[in-house]
Amino acid sequence: MSTPVLETENLVKVYGRGAARFDALKGLTFEIHDGESVAIVGKSGSGKSTLMHLLALLDEPTAGVVALEGRPVSQLDPKKVSRLRNETFGFVFQQFFLNANQSVLDNVTLPLKIGGWGRSQRNERGMEVLEQLEIADKAKNRATDLSGGQKQRVCIARALVNRPSVIFADEPTGNLDTATSEVVEDILFGLHRDQGITLVVVTHDEDLAGRCERRLHMQDGLIVAEEHGVITPGQLDTTFDPAQLGLEDEEDRA
Amino acid sequence: MRALDVTRTALGNTMRSKLRTFLTVIAIVIGAFTLAVTTGLAAGVNQTIEDMVDGYGDQDQIYVMQASAMGQGEDTGPGPQEYDPDTAGQQSEFGQAMLTEEDIETIEGIDGITNVDPIFFVSPDYLEAPDGGQYLLSELGLPADASGMELVAGETPARDSMEITVPETWLAIFDDADDDYEDVDPESVLGETVELGISDMVRESHTVEAEVVGVSVQNLAGIGGSPMPSHALNDELYEIQSSGLDVEQDDAFVQAAADVEDMEAFEDSIKEALQEEGLVGLTVEDFMGIIQTVIDAIAWVLYGFAVIALIAASFGIVNTLLMSVQERTREIGLMKALGMSGGRIFGLFSMEAVMIGLLGSLIGVGGGVLTGVVANALLTGSGGPLGDVGGLILYAVSPVAILSITGLVVGIAFLAGTLPAARAAKKDPIEALRYE
Repeated sequence: MSTPVLETENLVKVYGRGAARFDALKGLTFEIHDGESVAIVGKSGSGKSTLMHLLALLDEPTAGVVALEGRPVSQLDPKKVSRLRNETFGFVFQQFFLNANQSVLDNVTLPLKIGGWGRSQRNERGMEVLEQLEIADKAKNRATDLSGGQKQRVCIARALVNRPSVIFADEPTGNLDTATSEVVEDILFGLHRDQGITLVVVTHDEDLAGRCERRLHMQDGLIVAEEHGVITPGQLDTTFDPAQLGLEDEEDRA
Repeated sequence: MRALDVTRTALGNTMRSKLRTFLTVIAIVIGAFTLAVTTGLAAGVNQTIEDMVDGYGDQDQIYVMQASAMGQGEDTGPGPQEYDPDTAGQQSEFGQAMLTEEDIETIEGIDGITNVDPIFFVSPDYLEAPDGGQYLLSELGLPADASGMELVAGETPARDSMEITVPETWLAIFDDADDDYEDVDPESVLGETVELGISDMVRESHTVEAEVVGVSVQNLAGIGGSPMPSHALNDELYEIQSSGLDVEQDDAFVQAAADVEDMEAFEDSIKEALQEEGLVGLTVEDFMGIIQTVIDAIAWVLYGFAVIALIAASFGIVNTLLMSVQERTREIGLMKALGMSGGRIFGLFSMEAVMIGLLGSLIGVGGGVLTGVVANALLTGSGGPLGDVGGLILYAVSPVAILSITGLVVGIAFLAGTLPAARAAKKDPIEALRYE
């Protein structure tokens, strides 16, 4: 496989001190390669979210190193870290985190606005991703007017808008019903396959984890097992058909 | 994030909860309004005073009087004072110490003084027009003020000739056909001869002839509002007024107007020399300076109140923005996660404070200026309650003041915004995204 896009060495994260001390991560060393899809699986409290935050440079480890494309980033100046995050990562959250009072397009182009793009450029790029995800017709709508599946599609568009090399998805299907979940999964893995975007998924959903090329099972701050290979690929239809998404909502309304 | 986007986003955010922004802005509007009205008022009244000073014309005159008349000097105080036959009798009807001929000579001897005119008040009885009509004349202008007089025709009376100017409003007495003075051509009365009637000390009436050489309009200082004689005519009238009794009486004057060669160079030395003689010299600017000081003091008290209002308003901004930061915790977390630096978050929230300040100052200053201009027009315009006070300006628009008020308000708003903005900037993105 190619060079690791993300690597960690003896990653330790400790919260609190003394009696209240809690070791969230107890020395993790692993690599995530460019174009890979990795699931971090575990029960709540296993440290999987903490690990994702460290990988996504949202938090600093107590000890150990996170390296992005071979360069250690833990000691970088916060401003540079912010910039790196803005340019190389995309985020999909369970709770969407869309700005209710802004249009879909404004929500999608927020990373570009933060990155300092001009208005016309970022709107152009925003429409491009919205078209790619086939919700361009909702560009002017308010984010609150959308259904759950549509909202998550907007979130994926926002994660894609800065052409990231890594997309972090934190329970991306946690708030969606089974049918919609499947469509969102299809979109994510379609992007992974077609555009070679590295996918890091944090989930406790075995189905979603099973579609990743690699699974890191976490328990009590340690990786207790590592599995390779996609589970039962034949059972799943990974063809991306955006038209499916949102259909069920419209049927509901009708 | 670009500066333009920060501004635009900040503006959008302040407009998000309009009622809250509106209520916060009101407090600022009150402060800015008060400041705008007060500065305009102070500027207007001071402008009026400056116009009045200009109305006195020559600024190179110094008015001299006895120090005790001004409450200065050694021999004043509430207790009884020793009787001095030399100074006794040299008091005006109001008990004011007067200048003697000797004093006038002393003043003339001071370096830098070119001429001294004692000021005495002449009370003629009437002015007789060429057609024989007699008009009550209780007040005459002081020849010393002639230099500040505004003329619509002719010239000021020559010092040594028996000449006089009349106010514009008196023109009708020269022309029976016209009752309205505005219809009379001022040029037509020049060269006419009038007679002044005056009584001496035994109530015997005398007349003096004088030639009309000019027509005046009353200025802000009141000069030109009554007929103004030449020095020679004034002296003649005074002679008659104080004659009739077979008693030799020393002349005494309330004050004297001294012409100064070069005010800037001699002002201090002259005042010092006068002080040594127990006299006091005041320039026109000194007189007006006293008034201006009072007005400025009142203005500063009002500024103080306005600034207190602004400080109170700034706590409103702090409160509003703290609430806003709390409400938008998730949004802040998201922006941070998506790569917005703490500095930019700080910039965004302090820009919101600046927007509130700017909005408040625009409305407040705009309203203040508008109110001032309209009130000025209504009050001092013709028909207004203060319309008779010629040349009075109650409110003057000063661009410098407007800009500095806006700057001050925005500055205070920015300072108020720093606390909430710093709080927003410090938020941990993980905590913020977890926040429910």
